[in-house]
Amino acid sequence: MRLPPQSGEWIDRSQPLNFRFEGRAYTGFEGDTVASALWASGVSMLGHSFKYHRPRGILSAANHDVNALMQAGGTPNVRADATPLEAGMALTAVNTFGTLERDAGRFLGGFARFLPVGFYYKAFHSKRLFPLWERMFRAMTGLGRVGFATPRLRTPKRYGFCDVLVVGGGPSGLNAALAAAEQGADVVLVDEHARLGGSTHGASDLVDQVTAHPRIRVFTDTFAAGYYADHWVPLVERDRITKMRARAVVVAAGAYEQPAVFRNNDLPGIMFATAAQRLIRRYAVRPAQRVVVLAANADAYRALEAFIDAGIEVAAVIDLRDDVPADQQSVLAALRIPLHTGHCIVEALPANDGKRVAAVRVAAVGAPAPATNITCDGVFMSVGWAPAAPLLYQAGTKMRYDDGVHQFVPDTLPDGVFACGRVNGIHTPAARLLDGERAGSAAAAHCGFGTMKAISVPAEMESPTHPWPIVSHPKGKNFIDFDEDLQLADLENAIQEGFDNIELMKRYSTVGMGPSQGKHSNMNALRVLARATGSTPGEVGTTTARPFFHPVPMSHLAGRGFTPERRTPMHALHTAAGAVWMPAGVWQRPEYYAIAGQSRSKCIEGEAMAVRSGVGLIDVGTLGKLEIRGPQAAEFLERVYISKYAGLKVGMTRYAVMCDESGVVIDDGVVARLADDHFYFTTTTSGAALIYRELSRWNTLWKLDCGIVNLTGAMAAMNLAGPKARAVLAGLTDVDLSFPYLAVREGTVAGVPARLMRVGFVGEWGVEIHVPAEHGAAVWDALMAAGQAHGIRPFGVEAQRLLRLEKGHLIIGQDTDGLTTPGEAALDWAVKMDKPFFVGQRSLQAIAGKPRRQQLVGFMLPAGHAGDAPKECHLVIDNGDIAGRVTSIAWSPSLSRHIGLAYVQSGMAAVGNTLTIRLSDGSLVTAEVVKTPFYDPDNLRQKETT
Amino acid sequence: MSAIAFENVSRTPRAGVKGPGAAAWIAALDLPVPRAPNSWLPLPGGLIARLGLTEFLVEGSEAAKLAAPLSPGVYPVLRQDTALVLHGARLNELLLETCSVDFRALNLSTRPVVLTSMAGVGVTVIPGEGGGMPCCRIWCDSTYGEWFVETLTGVAGELEQPGHPCNQGVTA
Repeated sequence: MRLPPQSGEWIDRSQPLNFRFEGRAYTGFEGDTVASALWASGVSMLGHSFKYHRPRGILSAANHDVNALMQAGGTPNVRADATPLEAGMALTAVNTFGTLERDAGRFLGGFARFLPVGFYYKAFHSKRLFPLWERMFRAMTGLGRVGFATPRLRTPKRYGFCDVLVVGGGPSGLNAALAAAEQGADVVLVDEHARLGGSTHGASDLVDQVTAHPRIRVFTDTFAAGYYADHWVPLVERDRITKMRARAVVVAAGAYEQPAVFRNNDLPGIMFATAAQRLIRRYAVRPAQRVVVLAANADAYRALEAFIDAGIEVAAVIDLRDDVPADQQSVLAALRIPLHTGHCIVEALPANDGKRVAAVRVAAVGAPAPATNITCDGVFMSVGWAPAAPLLYQAGTKMRYDDGVHQFVPDTLPDGVFACGRVNGIHTPAARLLDGERAGSAAAAHCGFGTMKAISVPAEMESPTHPWPIVSHPKGKNFIDFDEDLQLADLENAIQEGFDNIELMKRYSTVGMGPSQGKHSNMNALRVLARATGSTPGEVGTTTARPFFHPVPMSHLAGRGFTPERRTPMHALHTAAGAVWMPAGVWQRPEYYAIAGQSRSKCIEGEAMAVRSGVGLIDVGTLGKLEIRGPQAAEFLERVYISKYAGLKVGMTRYAVMCDESGVVIDDGVVARLADDHFYFTTTTSGAALIYRELSRWNTLWKLDCGIVNLTGAMAAMNLAGPKARAVLAGLTDVDLSFPYLAVREGTVAGVPARLMRVGFVGEWGVEIHVPAEHGAAVWDALMAAGQAHGIRPFGVEAQRLLRLEKGHLIIGQDTDGLTTPGEAALDWAVKMDKPFFVGQRSLQAIAGKPRRQQLVGFMLPAGHAGDAPKECHLVIDNGDIAGRVTSIAWSPSLSRHIGLAYVQSGMAAVGNTLTIRLSDGSLVTAEVVKTPFYDPDNLRQKETT
Repeated sequence: MSAIAFENVSRTPRAGVKGPGAAAWIAALDLPVPRAPNSWLPLPGGLIARLGLTEFLVEGSEAAKLAAPLSPGVYPVLRQDTALVLHGARLNELLLETCSVDFRALNLSTRPVVLTSMAGVGVTVIPGEGGGMPCCRIWCDSTYGEWFVETLTGVAGELEQPGHPCNQGVTA
């Protein structure tokens, strides 16, 4: 079926390529698609349909043939009609049980009457049968096989920029690109096919001009998959996605040729006239020997010459129209082809093996019975078009149904968006060129390049689309949707069952929900709905294809992404010390330091006990670190924190809790006053960036005389804690270490300028040491060296979480959630309602008189508790109802008890009350509400000064 | 030779100030003040960049001048950045794969400073040209520095692979 060399063919006959399909060996050429190579080899059954497993072949040859999806090694759902043939390919059809030749799924066609429209809804309606159906559907549906061993592809994503983006490389798009570029715009032209030229690979002069133009960049084999605000269009290429930002977009995406609906209209050999032309002109493949052309427009007659030239015998032209213009009739007369006006194909008849069309039955439109059988091995349909308008819809274009061309056309375009060619309702070749020039000029002018040309585009003289290319048949199998095997009667039944609006009908019948997203079915479906409901297509309207409206490979969607990671200056030292890393927001933090031969829990317990009995050092550089200076710095802090800071003495620190305007706790930290007009303060690790942004926003609004500086990354910080901490630090600093608990001092540590804050988060004598980041590692090393004699151990996040829990200190985000108020979190003592104002104050005033929803309490499991202990998020149960949840829990080696924090209903919060907590396996354990801190309740260890 | 060269210049002296009085204070130190927000001026052995309206970054030996006593409305900014100089024929492609700013559209004669996000990290960028090749200086928070450099060098390495799309004749 391979033709002699065609002018401009895409194949390279000097490069034969061997490949296999369904186990058989074939040969194609470089430049072939998989489908064209198979068709050239005489293979016309390329796949089976989704539901009834019917034979299917080439329909569009335009990247929309979803019944010709194939498995290529580990890659599922390769589109045979668009995928370039490669040497050594081993392909199989998807959606078969067995082989394509012996597909056990073909028996499903006989059960069609038991698979009515809305089958999924009807099947899953029964709760009892749900599991049965689910198992069955999971076994029978799905396309292709995902190879879980497939390595992840780091498919790049990139940004691109241009003045004018032209989508579509047909005649109108080519001329639009040229016009825009000629006016000075930087133009990007994209086309989903391997070469420019449009549906029939014409316009070679234009293609040459475009490719030679210095201001036009061409992306072929690329589709514009969606439209986002500000003319942002993702361009999906074979190996990457380019996020193209344009200043103007010209949509010249053309139109999808539409099928006629008649019985067995899905047999291989029945294809669009444009598909036949592509096979001939691009791949030099003769699509059939003897064909019937089903026509309803001038495009069909324009294509006839190509068919004849390819040696195809055109048995007849069946035209749905009663009146065929004389110029079109004269084409047939010259070629001696019989013409049947006002006729339709009622039914296609299969060959004996069922794999290809063998004849058609033809009758007058509306006639009760077929009159004529015509033998053929191909049917070329040219009955109409649907605009490729998803980008226009997504851009917010108001569309209207134009009765003159029987399609939706742009009515009102958004600013900077232009349309031309078939998508704009312009189909005549000469007019499409003009329309392209008009749109390209307007787009360039929109970007400030030249002035818009005044070009008048003549209206279409006749409709290129038939308003009703649909023929009913009592035996059905007249398909409207080839993706989902939906027949005319299915839609009629759906409408009869009450799904008589386009959105409902779509979801109930699944029309347009298959891989081609309704490109070939939506228009006919809405025509059926319009006729059944006595509406016009315009009144029925369309559904909107969301981006991405054309399937995008998972390799692209899951391609390279950026997940930034912050590391403190001591990162390498932690790694050398055996740190086991854990993410903490965007940071990497040591969870604990592994010791050979010791379990995780033993390591954590050992680190905690080192702090309790000796000395430990933890990297707290992940805390947010901010500085505020200026005469009104204290006033600013008064407003953003719930406690008071105006009276905080220089050289002292104070715990600080921040609420949002609804009175919910969002952050905490420590505020240190370094001078009257100078504060240094910390935030939570996870809140650092957010709190800085929020404080900057408040400062902009309030216009106070102060400035905030974010030092989070510029300062390293570490907490040296334990009864021997002072001894370790004494030899390294010039600061008098008798300074009191909650005081701050500035001095040097290991010769480096440092800020020292006496803190008690872990409940021992401790100092947070803050130094410029560049010195962080040196200071850490110095402390570790000085601590050797005292048995110092670095400790990680898990040991710190245990130590702070023993002190009853909460962690924002773990022991609070997005609704927690200070009162609920047992932070009433920090709230100073007598201040004139602080963020969240009014909300706290509003709820002050209302019953408290929940209360954070400490609890302890009984001594000697055996068996599993609760975990974080386990529920507190009261009389069978949820009465709270555990937020923190751990085994305390210091107390030899399980201790934890939990939210409980206010009435259950009294010390001594018994809680019931449900474990994952449903069993219940009891715990007692106890006072916190669990450890060193009078805080003597952290406060001691000598 | 690598298509993109990386030079880590983090150890170059650098200092910053911000605040409503910063511009006047810098001028009083006999340093030139970039007039436009997000622009820069050369200094002997360094540069001064205006970041937004009221923040300044001085890099090079002149940074020492910012140790002078502060005036009201001037707040020191401790700069501990990771600082990189990138240059090479493929630099623009690297920028396209990591940043949404169209650097090629900038007028370099205006000495622009770009505050943006690159590979998800907040950065300050001064684009330029040297020896007929694009180049740029990039500053980011040093805690992102290691990951940022690893990521950029990884992407740059991919750009040199023959199979990378940008080596297949398509440019944008």
